[in-house]
Amino acid sequence: MLRLSLLNAGVVGLSLLVLSSGSAGAAEYSLSVDRVKIDTGDFTRTGIGYNGKTPGPVLRFKEGEDVTINVTNNLDESTSIHWHGLILPYQQDGVPGISYDGIDPGETFTYRFPIVQSGTYWFHSHTGFQEPDGAYGSIIIEPKKREPFRYDREYVVQLTDAHPHSGSRIMRNLKRSADYYNRKQETILDFIAEAKEKGLGATIDDRMMWGDMRMMPRDIEDVQGFTPLINGKSSSQNWTGIFKPGERVRLRFINSSAMTYFDIRIPGLKMTVVQADGNNVQPITVDEFRIGVAETYDVIVKADEDKAYAVFAESMGRTASVRATLAPTEGMVAEEPDLREVPRLTMADMGMDHGNMAGMDHGKMSGMDHGNMAGADQSKMAGMDHSNMAGADQSKMAGMDHSKMAGMDQSKMAGMDHSKMAGMDHSNMAGEAKKDDAFYASGSGLVPSAADGGKFLSYSDLKAQKPLYEDREATREIELRLTGNMERYIWSINGVKYEDADPIVLQYGERVRFKFVNETMMTHPMHLHGMWSILDNGNGKWDPIKHTVSVAPGTTVYTETEVDAPGQWAFHCHLSYHAGGGMFRKVIVEGGPKSTSAKPSSVEG
Amino acid sequence: MKKRYALYAAAAVIALSLSSVPDLVFADAGHSKASKTGSPGKASDVSRTINVTMSDNFYEPESIAVKEGETVRFVVKNAGEFVHEFNIATAEMHKAHAPEMMMMVEHGVLEADRINREAAKKMQASMGHGLHDAPNSVLLEPGKTGEVIWTFPKKTELEFACNVPGHYESGMVGKIKLSH
Repeated sequence: MLRLSLLNAGVVGLSLLVLSSGSAGAAEYSLSVDRVKIDTGDFTRTGIGYNGKTPGPVLRFKEGEDVTINVTNNLDESTSIHWHGLILPYQQDGVPGISYDGIDPGETFTYRFPIVQSGTYWFHSHTGFQEPDGAYGSIIIEPKKREPFRYDREYVVQLTDAHPHSGSRIMRNLKRSADYYNRKQETILDFIAEAKEKGLGATIDDRMMWGDMRMMPRDIEDVQGFTPLINGKSSSQNWTGIFKPGERVRLRFINSSAMTYFDIRIPGLKMTVVQADGNNVQPITVDEFRIGVAETYDVIVKADEDKAYAVFAESMGRTASVRATLAPTEGMVAEEPDLREVPRLTMADMGMDHGNMAGMDHGKMSGMDHGNMAGADQSKMAGMDHSNMAGADQSKMAGMDHSKMAGMDQSKMAGMDHSKMAGMDHSNMAGEAKKDDAFYASGSGLVPSAADGGKFLSYSDLKAQKPLYEDREATREIELRLTGNMERYIWSINGVKYEDADPIVLQYGERVRFKFVNETMMTHPMHLHGMWSILDNGNGKWDPIKHTVSVAPGTTVYTETEVDAPGQWAFHCHLSYHAGGGMFRKVIVEGGPKSTSAKPSSVEG
Repeated sequence: MKKRYALYAAAAVIALSLSSVPDLVFADAGHSKASKTGSPGKASDVSRTINVTMSDNFYEPESIAVKEGETVRFVVKNAGEFVHEFNIATAEMHKAHAPEMMMMVEHGVLEADRINREAAKKMQASMGHGLHDAPNSVLLEPGKTGEVIWTFPKKTELEFACNVPGHYESGMVGKIKLSH
């Protein structure tokens, strides 16, 4: 029986032939790993793809089935495929040196594993820098049960940051000079302008602080010069998804970039986020969201008008963007918005000790909202004069979005006792300008806000639709300081890079609480293989499960993991050159049932 | 006319009333008499009962067919784990109702899986408005069952929908097909 299992999600035109074994519960797939040509419109180069293309095909699995995937390596170097976010026996996880030895040139490796989950995921090479060279594709797993949402059609929207240089060349250049690809460096002109504004002394002090950090305020993207692509297409190549006005369209966003976070919006449409990292979340409607490297978000949009809408992805450092189009007919092009201003990292992103606030100029703080200082140590602020701040919070009310209340009959409000409103807690009002986000350092230059106003998704908004694990106390805590030496492009955990580090040993059955302390100035998307990371975002029993958790500079983020998968696993920053630079650990899970280990895999020459 | 109904919806929420019935509901067009959307029905006029099951986050059935002028009793059961609403209105009215539901969430009145009556009282006290009874809708906690008796009008595009934030947008809405 032949089953064409490639979802032609408008993504890739190639067909992956699937040989089904005949029974409903098993499917067989074949993937070849090939040298391919990449043409972004800005540059052409050779790269690596699957079944002759990059991105590779959309693999469509069914929850509950057993899959067999034959991977043939047509390269002249070793390769591997990691099934990102999939829960499977560790020998099938595809990490050379941890799960297996990898796949030699000319060899076919057969993966066999049961599909025990559903949602949007992806796959990529875990060898060298093949993934930045194009070795990635997407996975859609159909659930057994009805999903808690409805849509009329769906598309994969897979992002990448295609670079004219090969991954290994980029790594060599970064090792030689960490700022090799940082084109947004401040110039002498910036220095003069700032000195005029702040005074020469202050400007020099500021520069010296950054110098001590071996970093620069514009180190948001340390690899620039890329062309962002959606489903393999740049803005000029304009990937287009067709819809009929009035339809609900599910967009499965996957960030397969090597290094780049994107802020995503569809001007004119609200997006209702229904999944994060493949897991259903309680639906939350937003105007814009940020997708970290390796994360996925599924959103539902309802486009009622007969016109072209831009799916716009802007890099977090605002160095590049890509526009795709949702349109009622082929050939329509939605206007591409301009890039917003380049954000600057602040002292808060340096993880500045708040105990040093004594030296701050409090005269400038009159407009400050202390409600936003959740992370600050209030006890150190004893000397501050709060007497002048009585009116401070009121100023925030100016930013209230009254437009959301359009449906209200104002005339009927005449009888309302406004004096009673003094006690109202406006801190939770949606649409309020510049709301605090606990997942950024207070005062961070990276805090996003929606380009066209409205709601920007925060990690805090993510609540599991149906929690997989019961909420319970963690059995122990492991601190992981995310560290680095930018000058030598060494990235590490607790100051030790991968090759010098002992594995993290976990016991089957325990619930470990990981404390990530980001001591660098870059954002790190931390990815634990094989087991879920329960993100502690303050929602208690609704805390969502993720496979990749972003840790912003100057912040501490907690995740918990129910250690339920025996074997050995990779745990690393998913920025390709940070992982390659040493921000990587092996995790060993001791104990647990042997029966959960893999069915034998076969290797043919 | 459209605009007027939206105003009714809002006015009802603003009205100073905290429902004492077990299943708190949101007000909507119920204050109008014979309106475009229909009117509260009398039990004696009921021609039939339609059972509606609310799950997370969808209805069964997904659409409903009724006759013009018919009075229907809807027995609505929340079989899900979240709070859901069954509300008969036009798409515009649902849209106008959504921000009010959002406000309830923001004030802690509407939690994912329960209705917080303490928070509702606080909101009532501080803002002068809270939860309210309305004949065209029922807001139910998990496991609860409620009832709506509604007399349908002629030729209106009506929807039954859940306006708990995110639910309508992700598809918890169905068409009401009116026939002669």
